Amino acid sequence: MPREHSWRYFFSAAVFALVGMLIFWRAYSLQTGAQAEAFLDQSEFFSRLRKTIYPPRGEIYDRNGNLLAGNRTVYEVGVHLPSLRGDAPKAIALALSGMVGADYNRVLDLIEYGQQQGLVYVVLSNYVLPEKVNLLRSYNADLPPAEGLSCSNDPALIALECRAHLARSYPERDLASNILGFVNHDNFGNFGVEQQYQDLLAGVPENIWTPTDPNQAQALPTIPGGASLVLTIDREIQAMVEDVLDEHLLISGADSATAIVMDPRNGEILAMTSTPRLDLNNYQTYTEIFDSNRPFNRAVGEVYEPGSIFKVITIAAAFDMGKVTPETEYTDLGVFSHGGITVRNWNNAAWGEQTILGCMQHSLNVCLADVAVNDVGPEKFYEYVQAFGFGRPTGVDMANEQYGWLRLPSHSNWYPADLVTNSFGQGLSITPMQMVMSVSAFINEGKMVIPHIVKAVVQDGSQYSLSPQYAGAPISAETARTMTQLLADSLEFESSRALVTGYRLAGKTGTAQIPTPNGTYDPNQTNTSFIGWGPVDDPRFIVFVWLERPETSIWASEVAAPVFADIVERLVVLMNIPPDAQRLAARGAE
Amino acid sequence: MLKRSRQFIQAYRQAPWRRQMQMIGYVAAALVAVGLVSALYLNITGRAATAGRLVLRSQRQIADVEQRIEDLKTQLAFISSTEVMQQRAAELGFRPVSPHAITYLPVPEYQGRPDGVQLAPRAGSRFGGAVRLPDTYTESLFDWFSSLFADLGGF
Repeated sequence: MPREHSWRYFFSAAVFALVGMLIFWRAYSLQTGAQAEAFLDQSEFFSRLRKTIYPPRGEIYDRNGNLLAGNRTVYEVGVHLPSLRGDAPKAIALALSGMVGADYNRVLDLIEYGQQQGLVYVVLSNYVLPEKVNLLRSYNADLPPAEGLSCSNDPALIALECRAHLARSYPERDLASNILGFVNHDNFGNFGVEQQYQDLLAGVPENIWTPTDPNQAQALPTIPGGASLVLTIDREIQAMVEDVLDEHLLISGADSATAIVMDPRNGEILAMTSTPRLDLNNYQTYTEIFDSNRPFNRAVGEVYEPGSIFKVITIAAAFDMGKVTPETEYTDLGVFSHGGITVRNWNNAAWGEQTILGCMQHSLNVCLADVAVNDVGPEKFYEYVQAFGFGRPTGVDMANEQYGWLRLPSHSNWYPADLVTNSFGQGLSITPMQMVMSVSAFINEGKMVIPHIVKAVVQDGSQYSLSPQYAGAPISAETARTMTQLLADSLEFESSRALVTGYRLAGKTGTAQIPTPNGTYDPNQTNTSFIGWGPVDDPRFIVFVWLERPETSIWASEVAAPVFADIVERLVVLMNIPPDAQRLAARGAE
Repeated sequence: MLKRSRQFIQAYRQAPWRRQMQMIGYVAAALVAVGLVSALYLNITGRAATAGRLVLRSQRQIADVEQRIEDLKTQLAFISSTEVMQQRAAELGFRPVSPHAITYLPVPEYQGRPDGVQLAPRAGSRFGGAVRLPDTYTESLFDWFSSLFADLGGF
């Protein structure tokens, strides 16, 4: 190498060395300089993807394991904007309007908006059913159906993407809809069990970070799904009660109908319904079906003046205080005055010599008012009424339970006349569920059982059963037995239309005039109800029926009692309850 | 011995290319060693990356299968709903029975149908927490060497 050129090599070496040193210096300064922490954070941020995992919502089953609320696959249809070419937006809008039912102009607007905003992906339609997505995937008959994220096999629709996710679905449609409630697209429960157990059913969404570097891939943590619920409802009994109620609603021309069937031994609600009902898969029609004043479930969400079925409370109080017995004689003069008002019997007649049994059998207002005023008295009367659970929620595990309306002597707006009207179930309001709970005391040796709708909770692979809860004992066991015998005899002697051949039942009708906005009562508009239970020797069910404003008759004995009989006639079959004679014979043989 | 060493040094001084060849040999050996380690590293990294992708794909498949199970359960419930079953029963000629048309037979010691239902655990709810990947999928070559030597009693 000529010595005069050697400087070039030294120069080149120096340049390379300098560049190398600069690179090292820059690397060092990036690692340790003021911005090092920010760069580290950025690299950390881009090394992982944040993912929110929504656990599948818990399912709801009836007591026999039939699915009442589950989850179905639906699709979010969106467009990958960078993949759009030429007239693709119009082709997509046309395809979605034809296949999915989306609005053509709305789709075009969404795509245009996304492009203007520089977005990559825009959702065009959500909660699309698989059947419709399958139509899109086979849009071009000459090509094989699209798979995976791709939503269509047509080259013009290549930018369409379909992402599957779960959505609430109700296989029984409107069956037990008043009990279940529904879940909206925000995954929030509305009404019924869905609302009451929202937190439990929905589970807890979890944010997790997944590494973008496959070397760092880890198994995702298992996010436990929402808890599943097993209800006390029996699907077959529920369907039967709804059928019977719909039939009688049509026959009677009533405005609405409500029914509850409960196992009085443990408070398990076997069926509960009210009209109208909603196809829960089309919950968007809610506002069309329910106006603002119409509760979703009248059994817990509506209060009404119960009328004569409330007489059982008055008589139970009098029995429990030892003031009267079923055989106590009473002379009915047809009129009773107290506190500035005069009350008469339902037929305005005087019934003459009666016993307390006769008073209940003929549902005499005069007799009951007299007993409440002169035997029980206001203090004890309201003490018993409150002990029976009126004026407060029962605690049933359903959303939107109402309290009812009850004036007490301690209230400034209470008058002595209230005691008179309250004694036969007017001037106060209750919910059907309160009535059912109070009557359970007659069956459980004086103890009231709290009604409930959830039988078991299934969470993390374990099933937890819920045990019955009691709400106190307003009356003694002896009074409870006396009440059952009284109301069974009363039905039999009356030859009530509530009777079912072969089964001894106890019960009471209730016909209540409906108050008008100006404070009077309309004699032609009534609430007709019936509450009964059986078999009397070993009660397995309480059935409550309420028909609002029936047209064929204003009397509960003619409208509500037959509904009770129809329900019980089918209920004993579904519950495998043999007629009394066979059952008692079998018991005697043991 | 000393004489032979002097002859060897003398030979190098007379032919400098031999020294250059020796240097080239060292560099080439170092390059081959680096190449071997790099190839090994690339091989391990590539396999780990493939396994990582497999894990991610399996996770997606598990999610898809669980979603499908949920969907199929609901579809099954639709086709066995009360309305459908009643319709099918009617088509087969069944009709509701009245209580008076039933003959009850007492069966000694029969306790009746068990009350309530015991549900099977839901798909995906069997595990209490995350499953940890084996270290093989995430450790560096250095980690692997360390653990190897540790297993062999070294380090």
